[in-house]
Amino acid sequence: MSVTPTTCWHCGEALLIGRALHSHIAGESRAMCCEGCRAAAEWIEQLGLADFYRLRARSNAKPAGRTTNSDLWRRPENARHVVRDLSDGQHEVLLAIAGIRCSACAWLIERVLTALPGVVAVQVSPSSQRIRIIWRDSTDLPTLLGALERSGYSAMPLDVHQLHDARRAESRDALKRLLVAGFGAMQAMMYATAVYLGSVDSLDASTRGLLRWLQFLVAIPVVFYAARTFFVGAGRSLRARQLNMDVPIACAIAVVCIASLFETLRNGGEVYFDSITMFVFLLLAGRYLEMRARHHAGELTDALARLAPAYADRYLDERRFERVAAHELRVGDCVHVGDGAIVPADGVLLSEHCRVDEALFTGESAAVIKRRGDRLVAGSALEDGPAKLRIERIGADTALACMARLVADAQTRRPHLQSAGDRAASRFVARVLSLAAFTIIAWCFVDPSRAFPAALAVLVVSCPCAFALAVSAAFTRALATLAQHGILVARPDGIESLAGVTHAVFDKTGTLTQPSAAIADIDTFRGCSKSEALQLAASLARHSRHPIARVIAALEPRIDGSEAHGVMVHTGLGISGRISGRALRLGRSDFALGRGHVPAASEDDLLLTDEHGVLAAFHLREQLRPDTASAVDTLRSQGLSVLIASGDSATKVRATAERLRIADWRARLSPSQKLDWLRDLRGKGARVLVVGDGVNDAPVLTGADVGIALAEGAELAQASSDIVLSNARLDSIASARVVAQQTLAIVQQNQRWAVLYNVMAVPLAALGFVPPWLAAIGMSVSSLAVVLNTLRIRWPDAITRTSTTAASPSIAQRARTA
Amino acid sequence: MNILLFMIPLSLLLLAGAVAAFFWAVDHAQFDDLDTPGLVPLDDAPKQIASPGEPK
Repeated sequence: MSVTPTTCWHCGEALLIGRALHSHIAGESRAMCCEGCRAAAEWIEQLGLADFYRLRARSNAKPAGRTTNSDLWRRPENARHVVRDLSDGQHEVLLAIAGIRCSACAWLIERVLTALPGVVAVQVSPSSQRIRIIWRDSTDLPTLLGALERSGYSAMPLDVHQLHDARRAESRDALKRLLVAGFGAMQAMMYATAVYLGSVDSLDASTRGLLRWLQFLVAIPVVFYAARTFFVGAGRSLRARQLNMDVPIACAIAVVCIASLFETLRNGGEVYFDSITMFVFLLLAGRYLEMRARHHAGELTDALARLAPAYADRYLDERRFERVAAHELRVGDCVHVGDGAIVPADGVLLSEHCRVDEALFTGESAAVIKRRGDRLVAGSALEDGPAKLRIERIGADTALACMARLVADAQTRRPHLQSAGDRAASRFVARVLSLAAFTIIAWCFVDPSRAFPAALAVLVVSCPCAFALAVSAAFTRALATLAQHGILVARPDGIESLAGVTHAVFDKTGTLTQPSAAIADIDTFRGCSKSEALQLAASLARHSRHPIARVIAALEPRIDGSEAHGVMVHTGLGISGRISGRALRLGRSDFALGRGHVPAASEDDLLLTDEHGVLAAFHLREQLRPDTASAVDTLRSQGLSVLIASGDSATKVRATAERLRIADWRARLSPSQKLDWLRDLRGKGARVLVVGDGVNDAPVLTGADVGIALAEGAELAQASSDIVLSNARLDSIASARVVAQQTLAIVQQNQRWAVLYNVMAVPLAALGFVPPWLAAIGMSVSSLAVVLNTLRIRWPDAITRTSTTAASPSIAQRARTA
Repeated sequence: MNILLFMIPLSLLLLAGAVAAFFWAVDHAQFDDLDTPGLVPLDDAPKQIASPGEPK
């Protein structure tokens, strides 16, 4: 007996019975959910790349559908903005790509593109979701975009200025410096070991001198090239009259190298080139790990670019319209926005009516009806269209652009808990320098010739290597632990802030609640059973794209709507049709009943009626995420105050707050009002954690001490936040907080160990008992101890949960028992 | 011990060569993507890749 597939082979979404499309992929018949998935799968098979399905780790994104934007990029005045012409007749473009789920996707894209004639090079970066393509004249940008869309990925060319990728440059530079430091350290240690062995086995002075000069030689590139960041950082810090970690490091490197050079010239005493190069290498290794963790987040500019649509359909005359780039629009133009498309610029509605989803700005869970003369904003999605608009504001004047500026602004003025490492560093510098000075003075009284070598030994031994590693090793470990459990930390500062928060502010729609509403209850009348009511409603609902209709239709996946005849969708009101001879209506109470008995119902109810009256009433309720209640309770038990800040209506917010027993909540807040509330709280000394998912949460996320976004939510929110929950489980926030606190505790332990080590070793060095080989060993042992200690950072096993609000059983289950 | 006078400059030369090669590799994107190339050995014998024509 063969197993009937229930999910699409390509994208993994549920298959509708009777609606599945089949195709032969890699020798077997596979079922797909829609034409887009089937086209993508067949294209992949045709190219001989069906191995992709074997290699991928997760299912693909559902293809967005064929768009006819390619002609747009054929026009040179548009292509000029995104394509860079290279010297030898080649062209380069940077694409932001959506839908890369794993490395196999990157592999597939690379294969698809390199198979096209004329393509010279393709670099896919899954972590930053970008593709860089270099091609010759035998192909062009529309062909490349078309090939990507046929494979099921939507690509958008980025502005040509983005080609100079700052992060890539930073990463490459760090890697080069790390390698130079590594090689230098190895070479210096090699020559130094010869000297150490030589001191056992008596080495003649000239060879020893030679080996010292060689150590100096290999240390030069390490100090002047690899360690340059420390000197630059120290210089910047001193100019700002502060002391950060770079200052003691730079001092130590400079002094030790100069002193060792001096000793080499003098041909006496000890040299410490090997210690100092190893020191630089270990520090750079720590910073490189931190940088890689930092770079694993999405770019803010990409996310902003994706919000505003790049294309618009402008009317040429009464009937026809042409596709133009969004930046070609002028005030006064009339544009056509298709059903399901995004509004390109702020404007006035010229059509009769339409429905738009303005969740971008208001966070409202329901779409808004607009009539002729109402204003529409750029970035909102047209739910029921099409619509004709007259443009009033374009480009940088749109409300969307204003919001983007708000986000970018808030980001430059980020609140920043001065890192624990930096604070300790400033105290440390003073201590080290005073110790060294004290050593010199003390020795001057006893035996001046040993003063200098002793002071040098003190400096080397007290090198803040373990100190510097203390912080970066712990953070890297914390980042890795959190990432394993689906928590991506974009900015490491967030960990420190997370440990110290006092208040947690949640957005409601999409964060505490599931993104779509659910049917909470069905009341039936006149002998109609719940399952019958659901089936009738689902037959009608399948003909509409309204999100509530989709929810009803999803409850009865086997119904495909074919038994309903004469179905008409009335925008914003409901659906009417005939099933088995009965004239049925499904929708708002004033639509469903022309007249007749009206049972007490709130505005959110959906009624199913026939010619004689009401058959059923569907009560809608926003569904909380399954773990919301336990998450809120756990956070409260950890001592945080939990608040809700939402743009939605007061009734809905109150209902949610009561279910979660949250006392402090505000409704109908605009993004800037939310920011003001945050500032109030922080002004009173609170440290605030903000959790959100929508674009309208982006300014608030940047304004908080710690911002957490859900991976299912808007890209802009993710790019503006410190932490992204890719598993969408709110209760992982509490666990993350425990890890953060653990991390801070371990950092403190590491720092104490570093201090203890110094306290033990410095007197020995001051007294002249520490030859260079012992100093090197001491440095490595202390660093090792620090790193091993950080391995103690672990995901907490069990967080005590107290759930007081029980999850309501699914409505479909209840209907079947009716 | 005189061999040292030959070996040491040689080793420094090799070191310089290694560093130069590494710098070239970094500048030519060899270290940009460390995840995708791991999938290549899992590929079966390369099939005939059909040349993708214009989509229409």
